[in-house]
Amino acid sequence: MTVPQPTQEDLNERAAIDRSARYPVMFFFTSAAAWLLFATVMGFMSSLKLRLPGLWDECAYMSYGRLFPVHFNALVYGWAMQAGIGVMLWLMARLTRSRIAHPVAVIVAGHLWNAGVALAVVSIWFGAGRAIPLLDFPGWLWPVLGSGYALTVVWLIPMCLGRRNALFYISELYLIGAAVWFPWTFLTANLLVGEGAAPVAGAGAGAWYLSNLVYFWMAPIALAVAYYIIPKISGRAIYSYPLAQVSFWLLAFLAGWTGISRFMGGPFPAWMAAASGAASIFILLAVVATVANLLLTLKGATKLWEYSPSLRFTVIGILMLAVWSVLTALGSTYVFGRNLQFTHFVAGLDALAFYGFFSMTMFGAIYFIVPRITGSEWPSGDRIRTHFWFSTYGIITMVVVTLVGGIAQGGDLAVWDRTFSVSFTNSVAYIVGRCLAWALITWSNLVFLQQLALMFIGKGRKSAGPTLIHAEPGEVQSARAAAGIQ
Amino acid sequence: MDPAEDKNLDYQQGTISTVELHDAIRRETPLHPGERGGVGITVIVLSSIILIFGGGHFGSSLTVAENYIPAPRPSLDGSEAGAAQVVWIDKWMGEGKKVYNNCIACHQASGLGIPGQFPPLVGSEWVDGGTKRLGAILLHGINGPFKVGGQTYNQLMPAWNNLNDEKIAQVLTYVRRNFGSLPEGEDGVVTTEMIKAAREEFNAHTAPFTEAELLAIPGDAQLSGAKVNLETGEPL
Repeated sequence: MTVPQPTQEDLNERAAIDRSARYPVMFFFTSAAAWLLFATVMGFMSSLKLRLPGLWDECAYMSYGRLFPVHFNALVYGWAMQAGIGVMLWLMARLTRSRIAHPVAVIVAGHLWNAGVALAVVSIWFGAGRAIPLLDFPGWLWPVLGSGYALTVVWLIPMCLGRRNALFYISELYLIGAAVWFPWTFLTANLLVGEGAAPVAGAGAGAWYLSNLVYFWMAPIALAVAYYIIPKISGRAIYSYPLAQVSFWLLAFLAGWTGISRFMGGPFPAWMAAASGAASIFILLAVVATVANLLLTLKGATKLWEYSPSLRFTVIGILMLAVWSVLTALGSTYVFGRNLQFTHFVAGLDALAFYGFFSMTMFGAIYFIVPRITGSEWPSGDRIRTHFWFSTYGIITMVVVTLVGGIAQGGDLAVWDRTFSVSFTNSVAYIVGRCLAWALITWSNLVFLQQLALMFIGKGRKSAGPTLIHAEPGEVQSARAAAGIQ
Repeated sequence: MDPAEDKNLDYQQGTISTVELHDAIRRETPLHPGERGGVGITVIVLSSIILIFGGGHFGSSLTVAENYIPAPRPSLDGSEAGAAQVVWIDKWMGEGKKVYNNCIACHQASGLGIPGQFPPLVGSEWVDGGTKRLGAILLHGINGPFKVGGQTYNQLMPAWNNLNDEKIAQVLTYVRRNFGSLPEGEDGVVTTEMIKAAREEFNAHTAPFTEAELLAIPGDAQLSGAKVNLETGEPL
């Protein structure tokens, strides 16, 4: 199918949209990257505490019980959600062909969100946390975070209403889904863990919320990015558009059922864990269909993987989504889950979801978006390569180490007369592996933050050509030019 | 390094120059609306596997939860006395209930059968009487016509001797204790030992029993074997 090449007017329009998005989107990206660096340093330190429990032991603020939630909340609310919101704003503006009408209002709302995250982190650090993963912040904070989100995402509504694009693209569907599902899950979870709620209900709601944050918010945004970037960069149409729509609705119907299986065997009615385990397996239908669709779209253009940073990060992110959902599905069956429950494996899966899958996809989007909104190219392809490989090796190390460590630790915990300290001593090697993984990731993020800061202050490369991971050989370049690909 | 260095004027002036657009924008390919590619066989096969696996998980995890009996564990000082123990008969009955799944199609979960078609177990003189007749029926089956509760049934109940002795003992215990109305002082327990003995006793029999053959066995005859302690399952 041939699509008319854009006219000069189209190009001007693109530039105008990008310009309107410049400050709000860059605000979200840069503050997100700063939180990311903070979060990964905290991740490293909390892993270190597991290996050297005596370190800083006179200081309550540096205890594992506070460092880890600080790391996890900063990673998710500080980095992942802000990067997601920035991507959402830009992508929606481009897809609907609307400008961001009030950039200042968006930035103000962004400050509200950042203040909420900072308060959450400080409260946890001072010991006021609630000890439910990702709902750790004290109860009075959720309205702050919620309104920060609402006041930002509300600007998608005028964009959608004033849309001037005849094509309603699949990515828009995913973005709208993500935008409306998050407030629902956030509100439900916070009301269920609020004052006076049963503690068991709180734990269940926390597990449900964590899984829904991935399937109902991160996955739709990441898939919106993938359905945008892969066709954009390869110059090919989505392999099967109907299949993309079917996977969206599968996700919509199944995501809300997942999560409780984290506590299977716990004090919940048996059907809850059974239904949620089954949903975690059934949702693989959507994941398989989506990943197959995206890879088939890319088939024949895989050579671009060598050069394009956006494509490379997006594709690896989507592959990690597949790995994460398969491991989660396995972990929610009795056969595998009964040994892996409450071990390093669970922490590794969370890192895989929030860092391996979502963050990598967001990096792909950021590598695509930032040159457009700042009007300059990324300073160094080598640095992008460093960022990619350190992140990838870091997360692969994390997953392998926690999976093997989880099996070992679960085996130890399952033997009734083995003391807890034995199971802990046995897992020391794996804890060292976790530290190593976080160190690799921290280094990759330092590199990323430096690149993004250069772009932010206008020190990007001024050039007609994109910054690629490897310089393209002449014949690839001319073949692409002949095919009319970017 | 690039000949076009420094030619980007996109944001240098307050307005957009129509000539010097930022190149990232010029380079972009337009989005295609998408195609209608066929789904590969791999995706279909994978999806079927996922559906089967997921459904199986749902069913089995409900059953696992329903039949969950915690393993006995000793108390903190290592002694088994005083520790929470699973009563042997509860476990025996639980296993019997599982084996009874084989019987549900005809006798129903309620044990009431289907009037006129399949005889009931509740209120049946064959169940309430001695274990010898019951063991014979289970091991070799029964061919109609025969009477249960005054009603004649013309059916063939197949032999279940493919089940091992333990399973037959468990299901008979379940049927007698759950559906039967046993005489005072009778605990209704059938042990593996009893079924083993019955298997030897009726070894010569190949065809299903007829009513006349079964009636030749005294109604209160019991299979030979020791009675057991219901708490521990040990022979008394």
